[in-house]
Amino acid sequence: MALLEVSHLDVGFNTQLGSVQAVNDVSFQIKKGETLGLIGESGSGKSVIGMSLLRLLPMNACVKGEAFFEGKDLLTMKEKDLQKIRGERISFIPQNPTASLNPLLKNGLQVSEVFERKGHSKENSWKSALKVMERLMIRDPGLSAKKYPHQLSGGMRQRLVAGIALSLQPELVIADEPTKGLDSLTRGKTIEFFKHLEGDEDRAMLLITHDLDLAYEICDRLAVLYAGEIVEMGPAGELMDLPSHPYTRGLIKSLPKNGLIPLEGRSPSLLELPGGCYFGERCCHHKKECSCKHPQLKNSGAWQTRCHLN
Amino acid sequence: MVKIMKSANYFGWHPGPFPQINWAPYHKILTNRTVTVCLMILGVMVMLSFLAPLITPYDPNAIDLKSSLQSPSVDHPLGTDHLGRDVLSRLLYGAKTSFLISLSVVVFALSLGIILGGAAGYFGGLADEILSRVIDIFLSFPGIIFALALIGALGSSVLNLIIALGLVHWASYARLMRGQVLSVKNNDYVSSARVIGASDRRILIKHILPNALAPVIVLATLDMGHVILSAAALSFLGLGIPPSVPEWGSMLNAGKEFMRTAPYLTIFPGLALTITVVLFSLLGDGFREILDPESEVMGLGAA
Amino acid sequence: MQAPPAQKQWSVANQMSPQLIEVKSLSKDYSRLKVLQSVSFSLKENETLGLFGISGSGKTTIGRSLMLLEKPDSGEILFRGKDLLKMNKKEISLVRPKLQMIFQHPETSLNPKMKVQDSIAEPLIIHKNLSREEIHSEMKRLMRLVGLRPEHLERYPHQLSGGEIQRAILARIISLEPKFIVADEPTSMLDASVQAQILRLMMKLQNDTEVTYLFISHDLDVLRAVCDRIAYIEAGSIKSIEMNEEKRSWAEQVRDSE
Repeated sequence: MALLEVSHLDVGFNTQLGSVQAVNDVSFQIKKGETLGLIGESGSGKSVIGMSLLRLLPMNACVKGEAFFEGKDLLTMKEKDLQKIRGERISFIPQNPTASLNPLLKNGLQVSEVFERKGHSKENSWKSALKVMERLMIRDPGLSAKKYPHQLSGGMRQRLVAGIALSLQPELVIADEPTKGLDSLTRGKTIEFFKHLEGDEDRAMLLITHDLDLAYEICDRLAVLYAGEIVEMGPAGELMDLPSHPYTRGLIKSLPKNGLIPLEGRSPSLLELPGGCYFGERCCHHKKECSCKHPQLKNSGAWQTRCHLN
Repeated sequence: MVKIMKSANYFGWHPGPFPQINWAPYHKILTNRTVTVCLMILGVMVMLSFLAPLITPYDPNAIDLKSSLQSPSVDHPLGTDHLGRDVLSRLLYGAKTSFLISLSVVVFALSLGIILGGAAGYFGGLADEILSRVIDIFLSFPGIIFALALIGALGSSVLNLIIALGLVHWASYARLMRGQVLSVKNNDYVSSARVIGASDRRILIKHILPNALAPVIVLATLDMGHVILSAAALSFLGLGIPPSVPEWGSMLNAGKEFMRTAPYLTIFPGLALTITVVLFSLLGDGFREILDPESEVMGLGAA
Repeated sequence: MQAPPAQKQWSVANQMSPQLIEVKSLSKDYSRLKVLQSVSFSLKENETLGLFGISGSGKTTIGRSLMLLEKPDSGEILFRGKDLLKMNKKEISLVRPKLQMIFQHPETSLNPKMKVQDSIAEPLIIHKNLSREEIHSEMKRLMRLVGLRPEHLERYPHQLSGGEIQRAILARIISLEPKFIVADEPTSMLDASVQAQILRLMMKLQNDTEVTYLFISHDLDVLRAVCDRIAYIEAGSIKSIEMNEEKRSWAEQVRDSE
């Protein structure tokens, strides 16, 4: 049975400009120990999906659909029950590690605080915190624990935030854009670090990213998002080597090392999505059918594609 | 100068060589309930004060000793003072005095603060060093005592009152403006303007001022109420405004001797003062809410 | 192009053709921190030099110094043989339009209170004595050149995507016919597909106008795709400058993408 089963997730935002459909009928499953990557560009709704699962979205969001975590629906359960799951069983590694750490608390305290809140004594908590930091490849945990967040490098800070998120050994981790805005050195270390995390058999991970290299290295399966819906989902290696949806193909080809061939145009505005295929206008295989009929997600084995051409 | 004029009028909608303000976000003013309500009440108050001659039949300075210290009645809805003057007309005429004084003080202090604070922040170096110390000195005096001393030295008149209160307030605007300019100055669009060869004048007027002013204007709005209060306090002490001119502070001062026998002489001006100050505070808070970028609805990528 | 070691070839090239930009032992300290330590390099006309380094290595300081936005403590920046750091105000105002810059963060690169058309028209208003109609037609030409549509003109920066802002910035600076552009991580904040669009556009503009780029980035893949040579900077000093063999000519790339 799947650990997390999301079906027909819709997320809309009521804004001054009208209703914005950020996520559209998204369904996916994550099995125990599996890593699913949600990849897409800005505005594709990938971060919104992650936030909506833990109900972290602002008040003007309207979430529909189901998200069953071990048989219980995360979207409709009581806030009190969700609080027990948040952090303990599902945890969230936020995008910006610097903003997520308290600059006035020593690193060790930020981790041990989590254990203290669980009723452990101060000493035990500190010891557990050191253990967590050691497991997460933080160099010289004893010394780092006594420093303040600003004294760590960007990569180390991210590990610390991950440490806080993983300290209670959750079954599912949602990581939001771990490599965004990092320079190549830190990014390389982050990829290495997530590989190390992924190696843990018991833990499932939902990795939200725009970084195709990271996704390729770490994920078991990938879901590609475009304009709020999944356009393609399949096993990571095959999907990256032989993408079948024109958008995925275009995205991979636009990388500098793959020839820097641009996808013309821009993603459609979520305020007024076009009729037919959302990618239609930018697609080089455009057919008549594409502009009048919205394609459905078609199954073929472990693979799903939303395209009229296949 | 010619070039700037030309650019300012180039597309026909800029008012002139002044910093153009983008009014688009200000539609939010009308959607913010606090601000709308405050603006409406204040607008009514200002209108009443300027239409006072049409509303009350009495001259605010007409002395009628026969009908002195009357309680509120149909003839005198808010009663009369010890010289028989109608309290309602004095209250309405007094509002005009208070609003005008407060507006002059804030405009004077704001201009001084924006120019000096802006210059300190933009040019930096020695100019900043000197101006910052001057600002510190002005901020280190307790406001009302400083104003008292100034009026003592300059002599008691409405103009001197405005100058004194202006000098008390400018430094806080200058300090805020300096900080604003320092942070706006580091934006890439300012560097970009410098790289394309824009003059200092153009950078200040077109790129820095429009992006730095918002919080200073919020502070000025919040201060309007304080200034009315300070002006009232000074005229309560008999400084600044001559006793013949109706003003809320001097009304309080005159009424304090009759607190027991005719409490309405102090209650009504006090109430008017309190309501005005509260309204300006709420208005300032409302502006802050509107101008705070954090309060904007979450942006959605390409949308 | 052949025969490494690249260092040697670079110095040979140095003697052969006159350099557009020559930077000689540029140094700068912030209090005690040495940001730049005797940095030297040069650029030929119509060349793209990549500057690679991690954050804090001083690469942005080099770019800003070349644009005279920061003052180095010592060293020379020669533009066609004349030292920019020794010029008086008048001489600087003459070379200013020829040296332009693209910034990293699209969200702060345009004045948020100015419509896009005012930002694009600004350099024309400052440097060229054009009539209203001439500015209009020049703006139309620029918009076509960078691939923006007329409706973008009426918008404010927050109504544009990152890629559209970088296009508007290019339109703004191209109107001055610059000889040299410092591009400080122009695409690091953009999505992959948009990054490809902007890099392509920059290469096309270089092909059309023979502009010289100093391309600052922490992404080696990007530098390998667009640069003729790549300089590696570490802790404020240049460790090596190498020819980039991977870059293909513009003609080849156009053929590939078709």
